[in-house]
Parts: sequence; C-alpha cells; structure tokens
Amino acid sequence: MSNITVTIARMAATLAGAACLAISAAAFAQDTADVPRTADGRPDLNGTWDNGAGIDFLRPQAIGASICLRGCEEQAPPASARPASPPPPPDRPVYRPEYVAMVKDLEERQVETDPVLRCFAPGVPRIGPPDKIVQQPHEVVFLYDDVSGSFFRIVPIDGRGHGANPEPSYLGDAIGHWDGDTLVVETVNFNGETWLTDDGSFHTPDLRVVERIWREGDTLHWQATAHDPAVLAEPWEKRPRTAFLTDLEIVEGAPCIERDIDHIVDGSHHDNPR
Amino acid sequence: MNMITRIILMCAGCLAAAGPVAAHHSVAGQFDVRNQLTLNGVITDVDWINPHTYLHVDVENDDGTVSTWQIESAPTAMMRKAGLTSAMLMGDGSPVTIVAIPARDGTENLAWLLRIDYEAGHFYQFGAVD
Repeated sequence: MSNITVTIARMAATLAGAACLAISAAAFAQDTADVPRTADGRPDLNGTWDNGAGIDFLRPQAIGASICLRGCEEQAPPASARPASPPPPPDRPVYRPEYVAMVKDLEERQVETDPVLRCFAPGVPRIGPPDKIVQQPHEVVFLYDDVSGSFFRIVPIDGRGHGANPEPSYLGDAIGHWDGDTLVVETVNFNGETWLTDDGSFHTPDLRVVERIWREGDTLHWQATAHDPAVLAEPWEKRPRTAFLTDLEIVEGAPCIERDIDHIVDGSHHDNPR
Repeated sequence: MNMITRIILMCAGCLAAAGPVAAHHSVAGQFDVRNQLTLNGVITDVDWINPHTYLHVDVENDDGTVSTWQIESAPTAMMRKAGLTSAMLMGDGSPVTIVAIPARDGTENLAWLLRIDYEAGHFYQFGAVD
C-alpha cells in the first residue's frame, strides 16, 4: 500500500497543474438568521453533536428497564424520538478509469487492506462530522469519539495559511474561514494512509478536503468534498450529514483493540452508512 | 447453572432477519448469521473496548465443566448512545440467557450478541431473534 501510495503521489505531483474543481462558495453559503450566535456574531457551533456514529438508521428504544437497538420494531417509539431512517445506499467517489480495478481489488480484500480495521484513524472525510465543537474567535476545535479512538482537529480561522503541522498525518492540516454563516474548512497534507470510504476508496497524499458546516436551530449540517484529481475522475461531494445537539457528553474513548481479523473467513464486508 | 442449549435455525431469511447492529467489519464475514444459539450462564466480565465490546460468559457444559464464552457486540459509543454502560451489561451476577450467532471459523466459545435476558426480567437486544 505504501509503495502504491508513493507512486500515486508522484503521479499526482506531475499533475499539480491540473485544475481543481472548486465548489462555488456561493452555492453552499447558508445564512440563517435564527441561529444562536457567539459574542463575535458568528453562528454558535459549540456543543456536542449526535451524528449517529454510523447508526443514524437505528433508534434505540427503552422498553421499561429493557433497551432494544434492533429487532423490536413492533414497539412504538416515543413521540419525541427522531424517526429511524433506512440505511442509505453506498456513497462512493468516481475514479479515473485506470484506478477502478485497484479500488475494486482493495474493496475485495478489505479485511487485509482497510487501515480502519486495524484501529488506525479513519481520515477525512471518512471520520464524518465532529462529535463535539469548541469554537473561539481565532480557532475551532473538532473532537471525535470514533471506534478507532478519540481524535481532535484544531482549525485556525484567523486567516493564517496551512503549515501548522508540517508532518503528513491521518487527519491532515486544516484551516478555516467563515463564508457568511457557514464554516468552511480546508484540509491538506494527508499521509495517504486512509480511505475516503469503507470500500477501497484510496486517495493520494495530495487529497484536499473542503468541509462546510452550518447550523439551523439545534441541527448541524455537514458536507464534505474530496478533491484528488490524480486519481478521482471528479471531485467527490460526499452525501451531506446532519447531527443534532445533545446533552450526552462525549467521554474518553475506550481503547481500540482489534480481535476480529483472524476470525473473518471471507472478504465480505458492509458499507458503513456514514 | 444450566447447560448450553443450541437452537440451529437454518432458514433462508435468517441472514436478513438477524440484522445485527452496525459493526466495524462484516458480521456475516465472521459469524454464521444463519444460525442462532442460546446460552445460559453468568456474565463474569465486560471488555469495554473498541471497535467491539465483549462479554465474558461462563457457561456450564453437559459434562459439568465450565466454558468461558466471548460474546462480541457493539462499539462503546453505540452502547452509550443506546443508554447502556458496562455495569448495566455486567448485571448483578445472576444467571442470564444470551442469544448469539456462532463464529464461522469454528472457533469455539466465540459468538456475536443478539440479546441478553436478565433474571430480573429486563433485556438488551441488538438484533432480531428467531
């Protein structure tokens, strides 16, 4: 995988002049008059946000002292509960023709090749919306409670450029700015050791991800676009996700200790609907 | 303590019906979703870890010996969002009945959790039980 990554990185470098299809900022700009605001007038994104953690389609039910996550559909959910939704279809980037076979191979050998199955950080945008946001005028901090561990991203929004972390990393180097009431985060300098999805969707170290985050009431909207023209046929606009303000605080993540790999008898795997 | 009761249900619809909660990997790649087994035993420990939690369950065999089963389940964040803690899973040490899916690779005493019923009368369910 590393050799492949290096090779791809070199190819990407030769294509440095390739056009990066910028998403029109205006097309995504959200101006919401009724959102809570911080002292500096920005939308207040502070809080803990329940993004479903991949279980948006589940609605745990409390039945007296019992709890049912699935298989008890005959029980009526409480009126206050957000309705469960069916698992969404796969959401995958489109690759240049010369890389389609490689993605298929990685997908078929996911048990051998997926870094997340070995507790490595999932990368961006695979990690999804943050579980908690701490917002200040000069920076925004994203906190994550992921199955691979607890992760954080510090996003300066004071106008500085990239470069705070010169080392390529799993979650990259992020900077942000406000586009109206939308927080726009651009992340680069990835290490190339993560995937975009669960399905073999590799990327090069030249991946650039643009996330757009805005708030409506107690709902957080998150949308991400992955730009990697060396391997992607077009920028991948990941399916938007929503998260909901919650009182359930995140906690120190439990250790990630993989025990399954040796027991998996075939390459079958699921598509995490995140 | 009660003996193991195996309920083998070879039905075409079991794969879909079992529908375990979302996992870090494919449940079907590791566990035989066409089969369900029922265990009667005592939970002796809970591994509160990711990407999957584990219950340690002591089950008495037909010959009187005791086997410790590893019962795999959902990640910790999913447990928390469902309102479950390791202490709740552990219970009070009273006997429990567990419905689970056995490992496909032949590993003994390894299974995927579908439901726990506690002696006090409550249950925690993670997938459809046949």
